[in-house]
Amino acid sequence: MDKQLLQYEGSKKVFLQIGVITALQAVAIVMQAIYLAKAITQMFHGAPSKTALMSFAIFLLAFTIRHALQWAKERIAQHYSEQVAEQYRERLLTAIFAQGPYQASQYGTGSLLTLVLEGIPKFKTYVQLFIPRMLAMVIIPTAIVLYVLTQDMISGITLIIVLPVLIIFLILIGIVSKNKINAQMETYRLLSRHFVDSLRGLVTLKYLGKSKGHRDAIATVSNKYRIATNYALRYAFLSSFALEFFASLSVALVAVGLGYRLIEGMVFLEMALTVLILAPEYFMPVRELGNDFHATKDGQDAAKEFEKILQQQQPELAIQMPKWQVNDTLTLQHVSLEGRLKELEATIGHNERIGIVGSSGAGKSSLIALLAGNIKPSEGQFLWRGQTYDTLTTPDWRKQLSYIPQHTTIFAMTLRDNIRFYAPHATDEEVLAAIQQVGLSPLVKRFPNGLSEAIGQGGRTLSGGEEQRVALARALLQQQAILLFDEPTAHLDIETEHDIKQIMLSLFEERTVIFATHRLHWMPHMDKIIVLEEGHIVEIGSHEALIKRNGAYVKLRQAQRGEVE
Amino acid sequence: MIAHLWHYMKKYKLAMALTILMGILALLSAAMLTFTSGYLISRASERPENIMMVYVTTVIVRALGISRAVFHYVERLVGHNAVLEILAKMRVLLYEALEPQALFIRERFTTGDLLGTLADDIEHLQDAYIRTVFPTLIGLFVLLYAVIALAVIDWPFALLMALLLGVVAFVYPAWSLFKMKQHQMKAQQAQRTLYTTLTDAFLGMQDWLISGRSHEFITSFLGQAKEADKLERTLGHWQQSRNLQLQLITGVFVIIVGLWAGNQAAEGVILPTYIAAFTLVVMPILEGLIPMSHAIERIPVYESSLQRINAIKREENEAQTVAPTIAHTTIAFQHVQFTYDQATTPAIAQVDLTIQAGEKIAILGQSGAGKSTLVQLLLGNLQAQQGKVTLGDTLTTQFGDTIYDYVSVLNQKPYLFATSVENNIKLGNQQATDEEVANAIAIVQLQDYLSTLPLGIKTQTEETGQRFSGGERQRLALARILLKNTPIVVLDEPTVGLDPITERQLMTTTFQALQNKTIIWVTHHLTMMEEMDRIIFMEEGEIVMIGTHKELFSNNERYRQLYALDYGD
Repeated sequence: MDKQLLQYEGSKKVFLQIGVITALQAVAIVMQAIYLAKAITQMFHGAPSKTALMSFAIFLLAFTIRHALQWAKERIAQHYSEQVAEQYRERLLTAIFAQGPYQASQYGTGSLLTLVLEGIPKFKTYVQLFIPRMLAMVIIPTAIVLYVLTQDMISGITLIIVLPVLIIFLILIGIVSKNKINAQMETYRLLSRHFVDSLRGLVTLKYLGKSKGHRDAIATVSNKYRIATNYALRYAFLSSFALEFFASLSVALVAVGLGYRLIEGMVFLEMALTVLILAPEYFMPVRELGNDFHATKDGQDAAKEFEKILQQQQPELAIQMPKWQVNDTLTLQHVSLEGRLKELEATIGHNERIGIVGSSGAGKSSLIALLAGNIKPSEGQFLWRGQTYDTLTTPDWRKQLSYIPQHTTIFAMTLRDNIRFYAPHATDEEVLAAIQQVGLSPLVKRFPNGLSEAIGQGGRTLSGGEEQRVALARALLQQQAILLFDEPTAHLDIETEHDIKQIMLSLFEERTVIFATHRLHWMPHMDKIIVLEEGHIVEIGSHEALIKRNGAYVKLRQAQRGEVE
Repeated sequence: MIAHLWHYMKKYKLAMALTILMGILALLSAAMLTFTSGYLISRASERPENIMMVYVTTVIVRALGISRAVFHYVERLVGHNAVLEILAKMRVLLYEALEPQALFIRERFTTGDLLGTLADDIEHLQDAYIRTVFPTLIGLFVLLYAVIALAVIDWPFALLMALLLGVVAFVYPAWSLFKMKQHQMKAQQAQRTLYTTLTDAFLGMQDWLISGRSHEFITSFLGQAKEADKLERTLGHWQQSRNLQLQLITGVFVIIVGLWAGNQAAEGVILPTYIAAFTLVVMPILEGLIPMSHAIERIPVYESSLQRINAIKREENEAQTVAPTIAHTTIAFQHVQFTYDQATTPAIAQVDLTIQAGEKIAILGQSGAGKSTLVQLLLGNLQAQQGKVTLGDTLTTQFGDTIYDYVSVLNQKPYLFATSVENNIKLGNQQATDEEVANAIAIVQLQDYLSTLPLGIKTQTEETGQRFSGGERQRLALARILLKNTPIVVLDEPTVGLDPITERQLMTTTFQALQNKTIIWVTHHLTMMEEMDRIIFMEEGEIVMIGTHKELFSNNERYRQLYALDYGD
């Protein structure tokens, strides 16, 4: 029993409702058996069909009630599971967004996607199946066996004994098969991945001239995979085998036992038939629970994953921050980020242009993530207008920024909506003006639907240069005081970079710019350069000053030019 | 859909028949257990003088109690085995279809991870057999068996029952399929939309946060998800209601058969001991027929998978096994013009270019300038409409895949397979000795790094090679190419995404390793252009600038500007 299930909002009420319905259902199941047995016995003794018909009618009534209750139970469970799943979906998404992109990339975007889109439905199925199954498993066999005991003690005892034996068997099988399957899990995993691995690596195989011959490898590995799977299945299917085996064997034993006692005149036909009809019903709930074992397991696992993410969530910060204005300065005081940045001290002035450079892994991206309000520093403060702030991860700070990353996300929307992403109310004139400024006009002319052309997933793909121009156009419309750049031109070809550079430089006017890059040609356009090495700031100053200083910045330039080893 | 299933059913008819037979036996065991028990109890209640009168029956009952589980177990094993064989066959066929178009898949299909989706699609088709084909066929056979058995006793009644059971076995499944088809497709569509929306949102989370619109997004996404839930709910409600209806039908059946058996006994056609048997057997038989509705209803779920797989058109092209012999390895483009199928302007226009053996050439140009087309023409994967592309005076299109005996390609994202580092490197040459492998690793300067790993070159690369950084991956791929040892190497933007220092180090290693070979380097930067014999700039399919670094630097203003950017001034 999963205690967590009782914690969900409204679950106790649902347990109660379904519990009551299940109890009524148990009564209906017993009634249905009694009257079916009666009808058969009446006919057996040659009673007029009218008498039998009466019994059949009551049977049908009980049978109908039983299945109508089943229907009601499933409705309730479905409705409830939907509610719970919806709540979780909302909490989960809110938590993921609240924790920001930095944390999301730590989890892995792919696994978050799977968790939200597949984990939630799995969890829903689990809640939907597990509550009624669990209750049925407790209530129905108990009710049936109590009734059978009043009728025929020996059959009742047979049924009671079989259940624990069955459960012990299931546990044993579980242990054995788990060991057997775990033992070759690794090979199994490799084999199962081989095909998708081959497809993804097809281009590489082709370039190696190996792609034709690889066909045979696929056939061989698929075959090995089949054999390995068969081996695993032999064990995996054992538990449902045991369930069926014990269920039908005990029905047979009960029937044979009843037969002998009938011959000896110890019991009567009607009662014997009732017990015979009830025997399979006794095992039904445990068989259903067994069949849904994997579904419930998946759901439970998903729920555990949800909790991990939800626990990381911190309460939304209600810190008010002022507007970034003339003469404002933001001072970093001993700002650290565990394992990445150490004791940073720097000042960012209004309309200052600041370049952040350093070799790979020096901490450029971490610093940008701090300044973009994606992540909290582990130590230190930000000083602004005499007030200190522990973090910039507040909506008030974020909404003053424009952020242009290395790979701009192009949403599956029209070109228009992509460009006015930050300014949804911008008019077409404003959008077109921005497009003109960033040099995307030829693109709009090329599109049959102009601004309304769908781009992004499922629409047209843009080249890297065009994507960055879209980002610039977005920033233009947004008109923010602070611009953050994280390697905006790293993957562009040199000619495109050259063209875009002119546009970007004009964007720098009258704005505060923070620009992290490997491309040092941007630095002469900066007022101040922060040079990072292994998470420390090793130099701060203008391009000219740092050249004169002949320190880390100069070394970095030389290393890039291949002038030092 | 049906044609596809039928094709494989025929192909593996023995395994299929065995599975279905086992399924039928399992179902019949359950039915006969009830039937025989009913008979046994009725007969016993007549208190026969001799216990031997029911002895055989008790043995049968016990046997049936065991056989059902055994048959079912065997059915599942045999069925899964057969289906896995089908999947293995399908994987090979899909691979064969994809292989010739490998290099152009990206252009032909715009959807994200098409290859991953296709691999999943094949897995999904398992269910088509296990959850649809098998239950349906088993149900049909059981229906047939029940009707025939009844017909022996009372054929008009058997006919009536056939009609009534037909409601469960045909009418409800057909109705479910018809009624829910649109629905299932809509639900799938909704799921796909959710997937796209959320992928975008996670990748663009920064944008949503900065725009202050993340609440807006979450609300709208939850709304979309709720709509998708609604579709699922309708489906669930339909299934629950259908189940209730089918159960009620079962109840009515029990009564009809019960009354019939009572009548038959009264008329002396059957013994009264069979009344219980006939009445009780109705439920297990219907239990075998009721799942047919759900089985048939699922058909649309597989259809989209199958459509995607079938959309990959097979192109026959004969595998070339023996490379044409060539006297030298000069590459020549002569008045080459190439236009893609639906394009209006040529991708390559009037290109003339000769690359001598051992020459080092850099090709630059913005995206769409024709760099990749030029490479594909060189590899013979595209055929020029005008002019000719030759390697050692032989048309490159005549080489087929044997072109890779002469040309190696290091592309932007060389794939590392989920196997050991050693196996990955040996892909360049399976016959390579340990010494040759070690030598290649030394040349690409990975020996220090690899020796820090506990398993050394036996280390698994992990899925898509995530263990290694961009630079290390390229070095591994370079080691592969060294083992391949071809006279020509194409470097297709191998340094995109690497930082300048790593880029310079990687290219320095590359040039050292490939000293005497022809190098064609498609690049986006001017880093290390000093090392190249010729630099080519392309624009709209034409060569617009050509020369050595020195020449271009002294004569060309634009080149100087670009060079300044890379130089960092």
